[in-house]
Amino acid sequence: MKPKTERGRILVVDDEPSVLLTYKLILEQQGYDVLAASSSSEARKTIEQENIDLLLCDLSLEERHTGFEVIEFARLRQPAAISVLLTGYASRDVSEQAGQGGVAVLFKPIDIEEFLSTISAQLKKRHEQSKKTG
Amino acid sequence: MASPQMRVGARRRMATEHRREPGSNRRVAARLLAVERTDAIFPVLLQEIVVLGFPRALVASVNLETGDLAPTLSVNFPRTVQQRFRTSLHASENTLVKVLRNGKPAVIPGGPGRRALYCHPILFRSRTQCREAERRPAGGCLAVDNQHGRRKLCLPDQVCATCGMRGYSALVVVELAKGASEREIGELRPLVGLADRCLARLSKSEHYYNRLTGLENTLAQMQTVMGNMHDPVVLTDNQHRVVMQNRAAERFFKLPEAASEGRARAIEFNHLLFSAALSSMALTGAEAHRDLTLVDPVEGEELLFEVLAAPTSTPDGSRSGMVTVLREVTALRRTDAEVRSQYDRLRHAEELVRQDRDRLNLIIENVGDPIVVCDSNARPVLVDPLAAELFGSERDSARDPRRLRNHAKFDAYISSFTFSFSDRESGPLKLFNPTTRGEVEFDARSGKIYDERGQVAYTVTVLRDLTAVRKVEQLKVERRMLEIEKFAATGRLAGTIAHEVNNPMEAIKNAIYLLSGKVSPEATPVYDVLKSETERVARIVRQMLGLYRNTDQIGTVDVNSVIEDTLLLFRRQLQQVSTQVRTRLASLPMAVGSADQLRQVLSNLVVNARDSMEKGGTLHVRTRYFAGGGDSVRGAIRILVADSGAGIPPALQSSIFEPFVSTKGAKGTGLGLWIVKGIIENHGGKIRVRSRVGQGTVFQIDLPVVR
Repeated sequence: MKPKTERGRILVVDDEPSVLLTYKLILEQQGYDVLAASSSSEARKTIEQENIDLLLCDLSLEERHTGFEVIEFARLRQPAAISVLLTGYASRDVSEQAGQGGVAVLFKPIDIEEFLSTISAQLKKRHEQSKKTG
Repeated sequence: MASPQMRVGARRRMATEHRREPGSNRRVAARLLAVERTDAIFPVLLQEIVVLGFPRALVASVNLETGDLAPTLSVNFPRTVQQRFRTSLHASENTLVKVLRNGKPAVIPGGPGRRALYCHPILFRSRTQCREAERRPAGGCLAVDNQHGRRKLCLPDQVCATCGMRGYSALVVVELAKGASEREIGELRPLVGLADRCLARLSKSEHYYNRLTGLENTLAQMQTVMGNMHDPVVLTDNQHRVVMQNRAAERFFKLPEAASEGRARAIEFNHLLFSAALSSMALTGAEAHRDLTLVDPVEGEELLFEVLAAPTSTPDGSRSGMVTVLREVTALRRTDAEVRSQYDRLRHAEELVRQDRDRLNLIIENVGDPIVVCDSNARPVLVDPLAAELFGSERDSARDPRRLRNHAKFDAYISSFTFSFSDRESGPLKLFNPTTRGEVEFDARSGKIYDERGQVAYTVTVLRDLTAVRKVEQLKVERRMLEIEKFAATGRLAGTIAHEVNNPMEAIKNAIYLLSGKVSPEATPVYDVLKSETERVARIVRQMLGLYRNTDQIGTVDVNSVIEDTLLLFRRQLQQVSTQVRTRLASLPMAVGSADQLRQVLSNLVVNARDSMEKGGTLHVRTRYFAGGGDSVRGAIRILVADSGAGIPPALQSSIFEPFVSTKGAKGTGLGLWIVKGIIENHGGKIRVRSRVGQGTVFQIDLPVVR
């Protein structure tokens, strides 16, 4: 197993516990340092407390909260963190909103290979950016 | 006739020559018989009387027209004495008249200062009948009647009823010397009697001569008439042999001396035809006519004649033959036939026109829409009863302002059409309906009728009342809206379910992924089933999720922008399989429906196209609007989505729109086209597919335009 810091730290947010768990397990299997949050408030708490490289957030969260709120929050707190939106609603509005915010979108049901390659590509991009800035 | 004076001079000469030389009776008879003219008889007679020794003699003739007796020739009678012999036949007491009427010679005794007179009446008479009278005994003979004193000596009686001979009457008067002997008087009687008979014969022969001359004149006139007739005239005998013919007839029947063989044959042929025709006509015994074709021996052409034949007869009534006039009617008959056929044709044409007109009227009456026919100046020439209701008759429209307005509207419409360059025109026309007292929307459809010179002769306009159509259209739209809404609701339900299933599915899928490589070899097949079937459920869920997305309202849709959005969404995916996209989007009216549903239609078709072109290709998307398309009055929008991909196997083509039918095997859900068809039908549209394996597939969608 590779050192966690190298692979990156990922925060997964999803209100479905089983989905959250399986994402966490898959990503950990890939060697990422995974944090999990099952609600937007929990996610915000984690973002405030922990440093993260990548935010993986479901669009529809508990009650009326949306993934965009969480991503918005993360942008403010940790501008360097990259966000990927997960959603089952493949609507144009969502695509447009995500596109405007420069957020990558993955539609559920998610093909796991695509899922993993997207994540590693995003992290790689972030790594290169931080190298440039750093 | 010689004048009496002339004869006075002659007497003196004659007296010196012949006195004292009394001739024998035979010599006198020979001299009288040698006379050949009637007017020479009396001079010879008077000479011979003087020769016999009588001093004075004269001839008094009766003018049978006036009945006057007057001296016409005298020897040695002074003129004053001659006047004694002038009288009238009506003076029946006159001695001379008595002698004339008696018809026999008589001696009038002398008186004081006057000598006795021998009077011998001269009359046309004979003991034997003339030839005419012999042939026609009924008529009688004037000469014989006079001989027997059967006729009175008066004007009309002295014409022979049989031969037309005019009689004559005269009195020979001889003055007797005093004491003239019976013997001397006896010599006079046979002399005058012989002269009388000679005169009768000469008169008769002169009558014949005059008649002959008259007949010759008549004959010459007749020949002139016949010769100048254009129509052939032929006189034939009882055996139909030509007795006489005019020049016009000779052309057909007379063989010229140096005739060609053909001409001779033609004339022979004409004779045969002519005598056959005459034979048939002679049977009737009366005037008859028939047609006869003869050959013109000169020109060789056939000529048609109308033959008019009348039987001729001799004076005694027996048939002598026929006189035939041939009228050439070839041209006449041809003209007649032409006129007849023209007339028949005209009648036929008239009948056709009448039938056409009846049929047309029937059509016009039964079309059920107002019809107006206008002339080339856009003036109405035919307005059917329904149209008359809208525009009124001339008088009505003058009164009703709203009909007048209808008139003006129609006028403007038809004028612009009549003077335009287009053959057909249709356009909306809002007119006031006097029956329902409301405004009615009409669809005016007009066409031009051209004359043979290509000029506009008439325009025909049918006005279609759109009220009912509009109502049906409205109903259709409402029903369609309901269908779309129902479909949307179903879609929402399916989407909601799919979404609910989606999260557990996500967890299951992830769990399966986590188990990979950790399953015992015996359980691997079971694990594979688990994995593949879960993937299949994932695809169905993804498809159904699409239905959930339409949350927007039903309204007007810009089809072109739906297409552009969809293609934008799939641009990257299409580029990945190196597919070219070619669009040709015409300007379109708005469609009514759900933009989201139509977007799903387009998405499904684009995804199918992409999947069928794994090795790249071209995707064509085209739109166009056509006015007459679809069931709608407003036309239709046509969308074509064509790929150059794998195509649909023929066996699948008929069922491709049914649920769970797919060409993609395990990769497809078989729901995409089913959903597409449902959406299109809900929108009142139609979808068709044409495909050829290895060449590609074309989907054609027609969406009605509703306003």
